[in-house]
Amino acid sequence: MNAGPSRARRIGVLLLWLAAVLAGVAVISRTHFSADLSAFLPASPDARQRVLIEQLQSGVASRTLMVGLEGGKDAAQRADVSRAVGKGMRASGLFEQVQNGDHSEWKEAGTFVFDRRYQLSPEVSPERFSVDGLRDAINDSLSLLGTPAGNMVRPLFERDPTGETQRIAEEMIPATSPRTEEGVWVSRSAPRAMLLATTTASGSDLDAQAAGIAAIEAEYAKATQGMGAEAPKLQLSGAPVFSVQSRDKIKGEAIHLAIVGAIVMGCLLLAAFASPKALVIAVLPVLTGVVAGTAAVALVFGSVHGLTMGFGSTLIGETVDYAIYYLIQARGAAVRGTGWQRWRDLNWPTVRLGLLTSVCGFAALLFSGFPGLAQLGVFSIAGLVAAALVTRHGLPMLAPDGATGMGMRRQMARLAGGIVDALPRLRMTFIVLGIAAVALMAWQGGELWRASLSSMSPISKASQELDASLRADIGASDGGTLVVIQAADEQAALRATEAAGAKLDTLVSEGQLSGFETVTRMLPSIATQQARLASLPDAATLRTRLNEAVTGLPLKPERFEPFIAAVDAARALAPITREDLAQGPMAPVVRALLFERPGGGWSALIALHPTDRFDKSKLAAALAPLPEVQVVDIGDELGSLYARYLHEAFVQVLLGALAVVVLLGLYLRSLRRLVAVCQPLLLAVVLTLGGMAVLQVPLGILHLVGLLLIVAVGSNYALFFDQLQETGRADEDTLASLMLANLTTVVSFGLIAISDIPALSAIGRVVAPGALLALLLSAAFGKRRAR
Amino acid sequence: MRIDGGLRRARWAVALLLCAAAPAWAFDFNELMGLLARQKQGEASFTEQRYVRGVDGPLAASGTLSFTAPDQLVRRTLTPRPETMAVDGNNLVLSRSGRTRNMTLDSVPEIQGLVEAMRATLAGNPQVLQRYFKPTVSGNADAWALDLAPLDARLSSQIAALRLSGKAGEVLGVEMEFRGGDRSIMTISPKR
Repeated sequence: MNAGPSRARRIGVLLLWLAAVLAGVAVISRTHFSADLSAFLPASPDARQRVLIEQLQSGVASRTLMVGLEGGKDAAQRADVSRAVGKGMRASGLFEQVQNGDHSEWKEAGTFVFDRRYQLSPEVSPERFSVDGLRDAINDSLSLLGTPAGNMVRPLFERDPTGETQRIAEEMIPATSPRTEEGVWVSRSAPRAMLLATTTASGSDLDAQAAGIAAIEAEYAKATQGMGAEAPKLQLSGAPVFSVQSRDKIKGEAIHLAIVGAIVMGCLLLAAFASPKALVIAVLPVLTGVVAGTAAVALVFGSVHGLTMGFGSTLIGETVDYAIYYLIQARGAAVRGTGWQRWRDLNWPTVRLGLLTSVCGFAALLFSGFPGLAQLGVFSIAGLVAAALVTRHGLPMLAPDGATGMGMRRQMARLAGGIVDALPRLRMTFIVLGIAAVALMAWQGGELWRASLSSMSPISKASQELDASLRADIGASDGGTLVVIQAADEQAALRATEAAGAKLDTLVSEGQLSGFETVTRMLPSIATQQARLASLPDAATLRTRLNEAVTGLPLKPERFEPFIAAVDAARALAPITREDLAQGPMAPVVRALLFERPGGGWSALIALHPTDRFDKSKLAAALAPLPEVQVVDIGDELGSLYARYLHEAFVQVLLGALAVVVLLGLYLRSLRRLVAVCQPLLLAVVLTLGGMAVLQVPLGILHLVGLLLIVAVGSNYALFFDQLQETGRADEDTLASLMLANLTTVVSFGLIAISDIPALSAIGRVVAPGALLALLLSAAFGKRRAR
Repeated sequence: MRIDGGLRRARWAVALLLCAAAPAWAFDFNELMGLLARQKQGEASFTEQRYVRGVDGPLAASGTLSFTAPDQLVRRTLTPRPETMAVDGNNLVLSRSGRTRNMTLDSVPEIQGLVEAMRATLAGNPQVLQRYFKPTVSGNADAWALDLAPLDARLSSQIAALRLSGKAGEVLGVEMEFRGGDRSIMTISPKR
């Protein structure tokens, strides 16, 4: 009979624990994992940023896929594959639009434009239907007859002699189209056929995006069946591909890191404890922490960002420490089964303080205006608290006296003792290095923090290059500059868009823009449509005016009876509404360029096609008189967003650090001890930053989060040395547990440091050396051990 | 001896004549291209008569043409309505009725074919011309005609016949016949 916790209590605690873990797993299994940038966009943006975020989350750019079919036998074969893939994609229903240069789908749109020409044509005005206006317009059409362009005009001439259809078509055909060969879009720079598709599902629905990508791959496989080595290669790019790739990559990397981490950690723990049971027990707080952290994020935010998940692997490094401290420090009880009580009284307060300092540090992130950072905060706090609770309450039920085996801890302790003895001699060296690091940082200044938002993107350089190349081929507006119209209702938005379009027409004729895309070409405001229809004369008036207008022209007035009938019929037409367009071929364009905003009100977008003479300041000046219209430069906005983000993160990290210091001060109740504890932490941070500066690493937000982690993890070491000095006693087990805890931390962050996901490696590269430094410096600045 | 010598001279003269005349009989596509390629730059005025079904009498237009090797071509119509079509490399800029439109030629192969009929002929670029047309040359260097049969299905569904004519390195006329019976005849007078 041992004196461990009672059987009932044991079962109770273990069941509770199991139930909590199962509940966490249940929450996680129902959670969506996201990987889009939007988690790293502010939750309370200004007006422009809101546009940007809406666009990034669900705008047409977030739903646009570019497909390349490169190589293969010849252009004809690529064109066949392109047509087959395009047909399959259209039939799948997953895409609202699939374009590959095959214009057959525009026939329906052509009919619509022709039928509604007197509502859609910008030329329709009372002057246009005066005698002079009619003569002028008919002359204009005549000047096209008998030329290659006349082939389009002639079949419509009797019904549309003023050329309204031609006028509308002129505007709708994009100025920058891809090259066409064998009837399909092809690249200008590579032997490649091109398709452009927009998914029906929103850009933030990654599962649907993944399904869309899989459908393209399946259609490609079907279309190239039997071609063997001669088949053209499939290339895919666009925001959905990037999002899905990032998610998969982060997922894969998190799993990979967890497995490698577990193996390395397992070896270390086995070496330390020589007991598989201890190994299993040590892993339990870690697993519980990861489950709790993920579930907490899922509950608070509704979805878990892939990066948060990857970050989970960093938690291993800190939570495993708790188990190590427990397993080692609960050993050697005088009465069997009471080790856990002694640990609870003697060591738990220190562990708890370490936990609290970490929680304080991460709590600062909770208040971040960026959901991505707040997620990291929630994850870390929930994970750490759960792991500590498991260590405090769960582990004593499983191993009341800590770990049994001795393993190689004696050697570890000896080594640690040697290091602890030797380090104080290096104090001066560390201080000099610290001063040098501060000087270097002061010299580099803000230049040190030069990493950009894109440096957080896990998209490889090759993928980015493929994307740029496909984008250039398609002539897709890269969305660099957007004109955004915001208004209270749909009609107000359309009227403001028309006003903006009029200003942009000037820029087109100045040669600054090769064109622009606006929704009002297919959906003019009702006011404009009514004004146009109101300018149409009745049949008798039109007939009289026409007779006069064609005098002297080589045309008989009787030819225009179909025209008079068409105008008369148009006068009775109801205005075109968004609902009229919702089912037709123009629906995707309308949907992309005009939408109801989530927070109320309506937005319209105008996509610009700038030429090399484009001058952004001229654009801003031209649109300045229109209060509803804003010019959003995506690059600039993202840049300023990141700057704001970085600034906010700085403040939060500083506040977090301050909270840690205050907490330590409250606990230690001694300025001397507080300084002794903070000194190595500060120096560890300074030296890590100095090292980064020497290595010319551009630092960003995640490095900053890493610094906070150094303080959180390092404070545990510093506190141990503080305790060591207060009690004047450093037994082998404490030294061994410190060394082991540090090793596991350095190893787990070291693994993250070599990850090829930039966001993770940034954290790892800061924390791995920083944690090691924190331990060494804590030893160096502790008093020499009393012998 | 003298007669003999005279005969020999005469034979020489005949041979020389034959040699000189030979190109005139077998004036071919490549030679025409060679002649045209020599002219790197040119300005001309043009008049155009278009015969359109349903329109009584021809529609007339006039203006100027300018070409700079290898790939710049501007057609400026002055009457009856000012209009400009400027091609530079792959870019086409159309200006009419106070509006400007930009296009890329290679995105619309049928327009590119029509542009090359004129541009590649003026540049004397046989490869480009043969990419879009099957050329047939008739006449001689002093009065040649170049018939271009479109290879592109879409273009040939619009154009029934396309014939350029000229003298030596100069294009003096372009005749086009469209499917459906419309015709256009352009007469070009180079500026010197």
